[in-house]
Parts: sequence; structure tokens; C-alpha cells
Amino acid sequence: MTLRDWVPIFALLVPGLGLILVLIGSVVYVAVAQSFGYYALLGQSAFSLEFWSDVFDRKLFSRAVRYSIYVGFWSAVLSVALAYPLAIWLRKPFPGSIGLGALLKAPLLVHGLVAAFLYINVISYNGLLNQFMQGIGIWSEPRRLQNDPNAFGVLLLQVWKNMPFALLLLTGAVQSISDDILDASRDLGAGPWARFCKIIAPLSISGMQAAMVIIFIGALADFTFQTTVGPTNRQSMAQLMVSFKSRGDWHSAAVVGVSLMTIALLGSALLAFTSRVIMRGGLR
Amino acid sequence: MAAIGIRGLSKSFDGFQALSEFSLEVNQGEFLTLLGPSGCGKTTLLKIISGFLEPSTGTITIGGEDVTHVPPERRDTALCFQSYALFPHLTVLQNLEFGLKQKRVSRDQREVRISEVAAKLELETQLEKLPNQLSGGQQQRVSLGRALVMRPSVILFDEPLSNLDAKLRDQVRVEISRIQRDYSLTAIYVTHDQSEALAMSDRIVVLNGGKIVQVDTPEDLYSKPRTPFVADFIGGANLISGRVSSQTEKGPIIIETSMGPIKTSHLVKDNVDNVELSWRPERAKIGEGPHCGTIVHRAFQGQFTDLILEQNDIIFRIRTNNDKLRVGEVINFSLSPDDVVVLEVDK
Ligand SMILES: Nc1ncnc2c1ncn2[C@@H]1O[C@H](COP(=O)(O)OP(=O)(O)O)[C@@H](O)[C@H]1O
Ligand SMILES: [Mg+2]
Repeated sequence: MTLRDWVPIFALLVPGLGLILVLIGSVVYVAVAQSFGYYALLGQSAFSLEFWSDVFDRKLFSRAVRYSIYVGFWSAVLSVALAYPLAIWLRKPFPGSIGLGALLKAPLLVHGLVAAFLYINVISYNGLLNQFMQGIGIWSEPRRLQNDPNAFGVLLLQVWKNMPFALLLLTGAVQSISDDILDASRDLGAGPWARFCKIIAPLSISGMQAAMVIIFIGALADFTFQTTVGPTNRQSMAQLMVSFKSRGDWHSAAVVGVSLMTIALLGSALLAFTSRVIMRGGLR
Repeated sequence: MAAIGIRGLSKSFDGFQALSEFSLEVNQGEFLTLLGPSGCGKTTLLKIISGFLEPSTGTITIGGEDVTHVPPERRDTALCFQSYALFPHLTVLQNLEFGLKQKRVSRDQREVRISEVAAKLELETQLEKLPNQLSGGQQQRVSLGRALVMRPSVILFDEPLSNLDAKLRDQVRVEISRIQRDYSLTAIYVTHDQSEALAMSDRIVVLNGGKIVQVDTPEDLYSKPRTPFVADFIGGANLISGRVSSQTEKGPIIIETSMGPIKTSHLVKDNVDNVELSWRPERAKIGEGPHCGTIVHRAFQGQFTDLILEQNDIIFRIRTNNDKLRVGEVINFSLSPDDVVVLEVDK
């Protein structure tokens, strides 16, 4: 292509791409710069590694990193693991399948905070679950279920919120596999598990990777579910960032923010890569 | 013992009867063709034999064993799909290996079988390619090879040539026949193309509306169709109805038709007055003869010429080597009594 061809293409791209690049670029730039001591809101701006070394020395930080990765990883894996069988089940239309598919995607319309409050109502000390378990005589007294230390509540809400999204991506991917190909594998002796590992998974890998990565990044940066139902003795990275900021320590908050972005980037690359390896070769 | 036994099979989809009262035996090493117009239930039958559909009634045996309720992954059949259904993410080699790995065939044995089949199908140089890097004919061969390496007790073909162009079709047709004979495979071949059926089969099963119309060798099916449907579907015979005017112990029977009296040496059942006759377009001898017609259309086909004639508002077809005849000419012709077949009237 000549320069003349490029000019209109470039002109068409500028409004969209340019805006995105400017917005994202400036935010990332400011965050990175702040983490190294620039753009101080109070006091003087100067290059410094002290914020990085301070934050990295804190136990609070390394625990938050581990905790956030834990939430991100399991939210992604569990959402996809639940969505896969549903996507396969809904592959072929049957009476009621459209309604069912719509119902399963309903959580996409409910805000996370609303869901979190509903969840608290169910599991609280005088909540529905406790009443029910006592009612049928399994538990003799109410149990404390809120803010459990393993963050099962957070994971449950993450999966509830993200599974429909994974389902959306996987349904498309699974539906694009033709009946003949699945029938051919069956004819050659592949049972349900072999069909999944050798045909369905490798042929829907890009949908699965997309779901994994997007859910991982979202759950890694979770704030809402963590503050409402998360364990009280842990902080997520987002929570930590906010707590630094509310103390006016913008530089440390920026360090956490930049770490969060880096982990999101590396973690999703790693997740996408491993899932490809497992789906293509490992499950044989 | 029959390789495959089908007894009293029927299949309905929500009240629609796709197959009814279907019984058939396929012999060991036989090449059997299911021939019929589209929608007559051919694919449905193949899917029942390979296990993807369960019959509404009836049983299927393979090698004497009842497999009516055995799922496809545990049946010793191999299906060649019309769409080829190659696994797009696997190489040719991995496609060929797929079934053998599923059946836990040892590595050595896998290599032996695959190299033999790859050599036979001229796929040795293609083994590392992905299906979308192959031509249609090569994909067809991979799909055939994937079935052959399994050494199934029966191989099933669902219109395997319909996606190939005319020249390739002839080539692959010959290849399939040769391989079937070399391995003495029992094969069930589905097609709606009568010339494929006549060229390849040991026996042909003609289907119409989910029912067997006639089962015969290609030669008998062609020369002795039993019903107007078969006569017309295979080779486009001329059909005409008439009344039996004289039936003697010796000599041909004379049938009175709107083309005039026609002689046939085939028997008419006792007490039958009205009959349906069929005769082949290429059997008419042009020249002298009791029958005549005006040429209303002519189609030159190379080796022969197709003529459409009319007489007394009856239209019929004659195939001749004479390419000098023109539209508007009136010609005389004769029919040998042996070539005039008496049909059963369709119910
Ligand atoms: N799953 C199905 N549900 C309803 N009707 C079907 C189904 N499969 C096939 N049929 C019907 O059964 C008849 C036979 O179909 P098929 O066996 O595919 O015909 P052929 O292969 O001879 O063209 C057709 O009329 C078709 O519409
Ligand atoms: Mg068909």
C-alpha cells in the first residue's frame, strides 16, 4: 500500500484508537510515574524507589497478592468448568432451551452489589439457610457463615456473576462444531469424555481462553464482593489500594495498582498458555 | 452367515414414518447399495446401522450379534460421511490414528495399518498436513482411510461422492470399488445416483418412501424392473399402460396400448387384464417396424442421440446411434418382445 492509501485508513482510526490510546496511555503513565515518586499531590515530586521497596516489604502486600490471585484463578476456573457442560447441553436446541439459556444469563443483568446483599440475607445468622437447616434438623443451632476465611462466599458470587459470561462465549464456540465431526469421533470409538477432551475442548479453545482471561482479570481486581462478603482478616489488592489512597498515600496506592496490572497481564498470559497446553495435549 | 441382519425395522420421527417394515440381509464381503430419491430414508437407515439412531421397532444384528441398543462408539462399523467430517485441528496422520488410539491398538500395529492404508490411498506425502490444506479428493481419501484403518466388519458410505466434481467422482468410485474388493469388505453404500449404483454394486436395494421397492443385481434391476417406480428411476424407461388382448401358451402375449399392439414375452399373472409395460429407450430398433412417432425434440449426447417422440398424445424416448435424424421427421421402429417388461402396479 502506498502512503495515499494509508492516509484515509489512519484518519478513520484516529478518533477511536487515538482516544483509547490517550486515555489508557495517560492513566498507565501516571500510575507508573506516581509509583516512582512523581506527580505527588503533596510535597515534592522526585524519582524514588522507596515506595516500591516499602510496599514490597510489607506482609500485608504479599498476602493481598496471593489472596487476589487465589480469587482470580478459582473464579475463572470454576466459572469455565461450570459453563462447559451447560454449553454442551444447550448446543442443540430442544423445547425450552432458549428460555433456559436466557434464565442462565440473567445474572448478567443483576448488579454485583445487589447479589452480594441477597447472598448475605441468605447466609446471615438469622438467614434463610440457617433457618432451613435447623428446620429440617440437620443443624441444631445457627452457624456463622458470613465472611468465611476461605472466601468461599466471594468465589460463589464471582462464579454466579461470571459463569453466564463464560457460557455466552462457550456456547458460541461449541455451537460452531458440526454434528458430523462429533458423530465421526463417536463412530471411531470416542466416548463422552474423549469427545470432550479431543474434539470439543480443542475446537472451542479460543472461547475458553477469552472467558478465562476476562474473568481472571475481573476477579483479580475484585473490590465489591470482597468488602461485602470477603474474609475480614484478608485484603484484596483493590482493597489495599483503596486503603492506601484513603490515607493519602497515593504513591503506595500506585505501586499496588501497577502490580495489579502487571499480574493481570502476566497471569492471563500464563492462564491462556496453560489452558491451551492442557486442552491440546495434556488431556490425552 | 449374514454379516448384517435387519429385521422388521421401522423408524418414525414425531409421527412421520421415515422407514417401515424394513428387512434385509447383507452378506459377508458384499457391496450393497441403497438407492432412492432424496428423503426416502437412506441416511436414516445408515444412522440406525451405525447406532446414532435407535429404531422404533425391529432389530439389527452384526456378525450374528444383536446390536440394536449398542451405542455407536462400541459398534464395529465405520461410517464415511458425505461432508467427510475430518477433525480440522488434527493432521492427516492424527485423523487416521484417532480411532486406533480410541480402540487402544498398540503403537506398532498402528504404524503398520496406517502406512499400509496411506500407501494404498496415496496419502504418504500428506500425513503432516491439516485437512484444510488438502483438495476435496484428498479429503475424501483421508475420510476413507480413517474408516479403513479400523478394519470394521462393515463400512458404511453416505453419498461419499456427491461433493466431488464429475471427473474425480469416477476416479474415487473406481478406488472405492478396488479397495472394497482388496479387503473383501462388507459395504453398504448410499446414493441417489443410479449410474453409481449400477457400476459399483453386487446388489442394489431400491427404496421409496421408507420402503424397499426391489432388491436385485444391477443387471436384473435394469432389465427386469418390477414396478413403474423402479423402471423410471433407473435408466428412465418408457412406461405405457394397456390391456391384455391375447395370451396363448406359446408365443408372445399381445397387449393393446395407445401406441398400438405391443408384444411381450414376459408372463402376465392370470386374471389380470390391465397391465403397465416398460421398455428401454435404447432397445428400440429404428427402421422397419409396427410402431411410429414424430420427433419433437432431439438432444445430441456424443456417443448417442436422445429423441423425444410423440404419437397419439403419448410421449416417449428413444436413444439411438443415428445422429442424422431431425425434429419433425416421422420414424418407424420395432421392439423385441424380450425387451418389453410387464410391471406390477404400484399400490
Ligand atoms: N431427526 C429427524 N427428525 C424428523 N424428521 C427426520 C429426521 N431425520 C430425517 N427425517 C425425515 O426422514 C426422511 C428421511 O430422511 P433421510 O434418511 O435423511 O433421507 P435420505 O438420506 O434418503 O435423503 C426425510 O423426510 C426427513 O425429513
Ligand atoms: Mg441422506
